[in-house]
Amino acid sequence: MTPPLDGALGGVRVLELADGVSGPYCGKLLAGMGADVLKVESPSGDPSRREGPFPGDLPDPEKSGLYLHLNTGKRSVTLDLEREGGRTLFRLILLQQQIDILLLGHREEQLAALGLSIESLQREHPELIIVDITLFGLTGPKRGWLGGELVAYAASGYMSLTGAAAREPIKAYGSLVEYQAGAQAALGAMAGLFARDFTGEGQLVDVAKSEAGTFLLGGVEQLAYFQDAVIRRNGTRLLGFAPQHSYPSTIRPCRDGYVHCHSNNRHLDLLGVLIPDPRLLEPEVLGAMMGHADEIDEIMDLWLADKDRRDIVAAAQELRLPFTEVMEPGEVMADAHHRERGSFVSVEHPGAGPIVQPGAPFRMSASPWQTRPAPMLGQDNASVLEGLGHLPDDLARLRAQEVI
Amino acid sequence: MARRPLTGVRIIDFTNAVAGPIATFILADLGAEVIKVEEPSSRPLHAAGTAPLQAGAEDLSYNRVMIFNELNHGKRGISLNVATERGREVFLKLVAVSDAVVDNFAPRVMPNLKLDYAHLKQVKADIISVSMPAFGLSGQYRERVSYGPGVDAMSGLSHLTGYSDGPPMKPGNFFCDQNAGILSAYATMAALRWRNRTGEGQHIEMPMIDGEFQILGDAYIDFSMNGRQRHRTGNDHPWMAPHNVYPALEDDSWVAIAVETDAQWAALCEVIGQPELASDARFGGAPQRWDNRKEADGIISAFTRGRTHIETERLCQAAGVPAAAVLNAKELLSDEHVRAREGLQYVDVPAVGPTPYPRIAFRMSGTPVPISKAAPKFAEDNDYVYRELLGLSSETIRSLQEDQIITSEPVAPGGRRKGH
Repeated sequence: MTPPLDGALGGVRVLELADGVSGPYCGKLLAGMGADVLKVESPSGDPSRREGPFPGDLPDPEKSGLYLHLNTGKRSVTLDLEREGGRTLFRLILLQQQIDILLLGHREEQLAALGLSIESLQREHPELIIVDITLFGLTGPKRGWLGGELVAYAASGYMSLTGAAAREPIKAYGSLVEYQAGAQAALGAMAGLFARDFTGEGQLVDVAKSEAGTFLLGGVEQLAYFQDAVIRRNGTRLLGFAPQHSYPSTIRPCRDGYVHCHSNNRHLDLLGVLIPDPRLLEPEVLGAMMGHADEIDEIMDLWLADKDRRDIVAAAQELRLPFTEVMEPGEVMADAHHRERGSFVSVEHPGAGPIVQPGAPFRMSASPWQTRPAPMLGQDNASVLEGLGHLPDDLARLRAQEVI
Repeated sequence: MARRPLTGVRIIDFTNAVAGPIATFILADLGAEVIKVEEPSSRPLHAAGTAPLQAGAEDLSYNRVMIFNELNHGKRGISLNVATERGREVFLKLVAVSDAVVDNFAPRVMPNLKLDYAHLKQVKADIISVSMPAFGLSGQYRERVSYGPGVDAMSGLSHLTGYSDGPPMKPGNFFCDQNAGILSAYATMAALRWRNRTGEGQHIEMPMIDGEFQILGDAYIDFSMNGRQRHRTGNDHPWMAPHNVYPALEDDSWVAIAVETDAQWAALCEVIGQPELASDARFGGAPQRWDNRKEADGIISAFTRGRTHIETERLCQAAGVPAAAVLNAKELLSDEHVRAREGLQYVDVPAVGPTPYPRIAFRMSGTPVPISKAAPKFAEDNDYVYRELLGLSSETIRSLQEDQIITSEPVAPGGRRKGH
């Protein structure tokens, strides 16, 4: 029950009423910095408990890899907010537990269905920082629209840049935009704490997943604006580069897989040192490498075809050419570099046992990141309700009424 | 300017390329005074990638580099050759009156300049030093050079992104730079809170690749649990279907539709004028829809081909079906929702005019954080920093200028020997 006092956010109390990826990832980032994050789950649990992966592919709400990744360091209480009893307990937690940050993932009408509204929450809890992550934000004509990762990715503009020019656009692996929204929400929560230091008041942080995708455009919006042009996806090459720009930045096949090939932008002739084809040193090519991209690909492919990733990258890096291997997730985890650095850690989860998963996203020398286990469903029900003044026989009654 | 969350915090931005400047522009948006320290030879001088010159404006093309200006909005800027001993002394004077220093050089650079954390804290005991190497400050890859897309390759993201029958790809234009930039800004703010509570500074190491590991958590865990190497699957979802983009009337125009529930499927069947498909056994539940998703995609495409992507997204959303047109950047500029929320904010860039930049993805009701200003012109704040902030004498400044340690214009790379 006592929040940890260590960590940059030690003493900060977060109530997380958010499912899926973005809200929980935000909560994870806050918990990693030492905040006490109390996760409110419905009696059936966060849907990510059903997403997997599961050991041996056997579904078990305590063993879902996605849940165990996204919810490290939190406590869990189950409340059925569809029932009045659950809502009463939720309001009691907000009133009595000195919550600093309320983390939501609800559109206006979803809050209304729970008997909540941003306005009433702000009125009743003026010091509360409310972070609400929604698909399009809480304002604007699309604020009520439905969707998840695919819809956010499409609407953000980022999808128009992903995929091959001759095929349909695609989204990147997994929930990339959802994660970005979660990280931006963590920034917003932190900013809310700084602001409260001098205003004494909380505020609403209205996070839009679509904007988290738009944030990734990387200058393409300027090209579209100034050139009045559509910048199209282009496979693995960088976008919007004029013919006189540097090349390569692309992924090409080699004997045992693929390599990412990149020019040394200060010394474009180094590619011709790595790959002994005189064409790569001709002024015509060096002066317009992007304009010769197809030809450079052909020259590179010929040279790469009988070589392995490790040897190619070693030779290139020796010349300060930023080539890297395209690796599969398992290769990454097994790589000596990451093993030595301890980037993946074994976490002993109470419901799933030890799981090797990503550890600290960054390392801080004085207030280090903490990777603590993810909670079992409702594991903190008793301590939370006792903190609200409920006696043990109340707990049995609430459980019987399916409120918790 | 109204007070912002980080008003009063001063950050030295000693970064280049993409990820570092993103970290510091976020801190600038949130209210910190960010001072970008530019080596006289570091700003890109080539004319390529410059925004068009506004009629009648003075033409200094190095002040119109589009990506530089986008990634350095909201900051102040000074020129300083830190690789000289006197330049380094001036840098340390600035450190002494600052809260944090952010760099994104290869690991050897800051120690070579004697500007790593151990040196910085000698002049400011509670300084926060943020390093953003590609692969970390230790380990066998520490000296590897890489830009963002090269990190995507080594994290597994490229392997996992692409068509199921095609090669590995990268998402969008860049990805890992923004990801690392956001996390660095977050970690810096955490360190500021720690310092405010304890009086203690610290060093932050933000390897771009470690930040990306978070995004791929489930793929790694599938490997650690089951030894399974996940593979790229295009727009396929593990269990949702239909879940794809569908061709629209116009050339290279697409609409994304993602059906999660039976009710949404039934609504989609109504939208496409085939309500009988809602009770079709081939699509009776999520597992059936997933098994027969190619067939469903064909039926949906026959409908979407006859309409614009905007028409279809509106019809779907009105019926409660998750959908969105795949907007390109040009369409985004005129999108009513983007305009209403100012998701792309027009910033007045000197000699260029209004320029759209993506904003931070949140609005703060109490302390708004719109982009406050354009990027600094080269050496724009030399006077403010050297005279007002550091109190250097005119004589000292003149001497530093004579030795080209401080310049008013960029110098060509290679024009003088650099320290790294």
